[in-house]
Amino acid sequence: MNNKNKSVFTEIGRRKFLKYGSLAVGAGVLASCTGGGSSTGDGDLGENPIKVGVMYSTTGTIAIVEKSLQDATFLALEQINTGTGPWEGNGEGIEGRKIQKVVVNPDSNWDLYNQMSKRLIDEDQVTCVLGCYTSASRKSVLPVFEEKDSILYYPVYYEGNECSSNVFYTGAAPNQQITDSIPYCFKNFGPKGFFVGSDYIYPKESNRIAKAELVKAGGKVVGDEYAALGTTEFITIINKIKQAKPDFVLSNLVGDSIPAFYRQYRDAGITSDKVPIMAYPTTEEEILAMGTEYSEGHFTSFNYFQTVETPENKAFVEQFQAKFGKNRVTNGVMEAAYLQTFFMAQAMRDAIKAGKEINTESIREFTRGQTFQAPQGLVKMDPENYHTYLYSRIGRWGADGQAEIVFATPAAVKPIAWSQTLYPGRVCSRPTPDDRSNPIKETGEDLQVVYLDKV
Amino acid sequence: MKADQERSKKRKNMFYYLAQEEAASSFSSIALANQLVNGIGIVGILLLTGLGLAITFGVMRIINLAHGEFIMLGAYVTFVLQSNFNLDLLLTIPFSFLITGAIGALVELTIIRRLYGRPLETLLATWGLSIVLQGVIKLIFTAQLKYVKAPPYISGNLTLLTDEQGSPAIAISYYRLFIVAIALALLALTSYLLNNTDLGRQVRSVTQNRDMSKCLGVNTSLVDMITFAYGCGLAGVAGTVISSLKSVSPPMGQDYLVDAWMTVVTGGVDKLVGVLAGAFLIGQSNAGIAYLLNDPVARVIVLGAVIVLIRYFPEGLFTVQKRS
Repeated sequence: MNNKNKSVFTEIGRRKFLKYGSLAVGAGVLASCTGGGSSTGDGDLGENPIKVGVMYSTTGTIAIVEKSLQDATFLALEQINTGTGPWEGNGEGIEGRKIQKVVVNPDSNWDLYNQMSKRLIDEDQVTCVLGCYTSASRKSVLPVFEEKDSILYYPVYYEGNECSSNVFYTGAAPNQQITDSIPYCFKNFGPKGFFVGSDYIYPKESNRIAKAELVKAGGKVVGDEYAALGTTEFITIINKIKQAKPDFVLSNLVGDSIPAFYRQYRDAGITSDKVPIMAYPTTEEEILAMGTEYSEGHFTSFNYFQTVETPENKAFVEQFQAKFGKNRVTNGVMEAAYLQTFFMAQAMRDAIKAGKEINTESIREFTRGQTFQAPQGLVKMDPENYHTYLYSRIGRWGADGQAEIVFATPAAVKPIAWSQTLYPGRVCSRPTPDDRSNPIKETGEDLQVVYLDKV
Repeated sequence: MKADQERSKKRKNMFYYLAQEEAASSFSSIALANQLVNGIGIVGILLLTGLGLAITFGVMRIINLAHGEFIMLGAYVTFVLQSNFNLDLLLTIPFSFLITGAIGALVELTIIRRLYGRPLETLLATWGLSIVLQGVIKLIFTAQLKYVKAPPYISGNLTLLTDEQGSPAIAISYYRLFIVAIALALLALTSYLLNNTDLGRQVRSVTQNRDMSKCLGVNTSLVDMITFAYGCGLAGVAGTVISSLKSVSPPMGQDYLVDAWMTVVTGGVDKLVGVLAGAFLIGQSNAGIAYLLNDPVARVIVLGAVIVLIRYFPEGLFTVQKRS
């Protein structure tokens, strides 16, 4: 009796399970299909909105970083559509046309970036795409944007050595981050540098440039170690650091490895006053996650810190925290994701004003040379190499988790896509937007630092 | 002539560099000793993360790919308790054991129970579960890295040897030793529960012969649930203890899943001591090879060695002779 009841129950249970299960699976499939090209409800977008792709991973290992880039991008898009923030005075949207964002999530999978970008361009017919974080994902989508002749705005400091007509780089080129930080380390900490990084393209290339800079400055490389992406076990590397006795450590570790490394570094008894860490990917966000007692006294070289004192930055931090929460911090990559959205909007505005259609050609033409009063200061898109004039700054992390800026260039520095130590005289140059000749030019000259003139 | 001079200068430079190398390697025996001492820290983490799996897989034969997510849940329990109630990390251990255990019981009740004897389906279901758990946690806490404070009284290093300048040459942090201690204590406790209590006897009898145990009046479904919940609870404790070494994020458990599996498979699942042996073998060979070469290479070599080992000892190193 009991047994029978039970079997009946489980039978119903199974049927219900199948019913709801298939419903759930169906809904999931539906969601993932539409999810690809879903534009989140922004309310009324009015007539003839401009479609823009937003491609950041909100799931998977790199979501930790890319989600914050998406947040910064959404803030900028909202300000453009409502005519607030830096967009005040331009009216709602771009000459009355709102921006419709088409959001995709490549799930931290480099192949998916490639597929998603194809989908954005072919099926959703977006005018351009804002997105990508790792160099691996950028390399994965680069052929797509070049083949289909579309535009990607890429907001991340990177290793350089690229000169594409289809990417606008709004993060630091090597000469806006590495070139200043290494002589700073040499002068202030000593000649012996130990280089660590995550085991993939950006840290290896970036360290290769940094090592060359150190040798050029007269210093010595006493170690060069890499850890698998996402590793949180640093016993070996720290032991090797102890043995090599460097004057400073240069870290190109990324993501979850950063807090683990800094914590184990201090736990192993190495203090920041003896051997400070100079890092590129360690930002306010990671400092928050590791705890300030582990970061105090270490250094980061970046274009932007939350402590930069400009009225634009004050407004940016306020608006960001108002939208996403008081406990959030802003960092350099987010600021780049924010400012590049305005580069895009200004280019579209100027194209419409000039009576042109908004397409790849006009966006490219009008993004060249665009200037913007960004949170970090006045920046400009270099019209010839499609990288951005950015400030170069070095910050020393304090007890409050914020950086005290100990070095800053007087103005934004002209970007050079190639490390001048490794490739002296090589530049990227396109005199006109539709120039399809080889843009990589060997000038054979010793290039000088060029600052952006204040307007 | 000038070229010759240049060359001899270069050669001298080279000798100079070689000499430098020489000087560096004279320290290396001490550095290697330091590496092996610190390798104990890796062993502790492997043991701690593998222990829960030794229960769910070793005793119950469930291929649980969501093991890493239970570690992650334990870390989040600690994060929530610490940020809301300012609770010390040590005091959160029982809570994370109970909460992850309860979630484990729920999972057993709703998913695993329906899939006993179907390892492939279990594998897929738990894999799906791991994605769901990561997604849910991400929805609640966002994908940002979270910060957990280490207990302030377990800081600093145990210095075994100092060099000429008086800085520690061979030292291991107290927190690593604390992890090892917790792992060993849990191993002892688990072993006691399994071998010296009624519940443990029931658990073992159910694994060995489910039908016979049922006939003898053992409530097998209850035993299953408790065992699975216990395994998940252990994973939760691991998560709590590890959380202060790194940071807390939804995908954090993934790092430990493969390592935990290697540990359990290498040691063999019939005896709990196998987990200890597996953890020691993998942890120390990893530390040793990583010192001589580097971390990514060490990982490849150790993984390769485990594959070869399983080829010749499919049941792991510590097996019990069974009549088939």
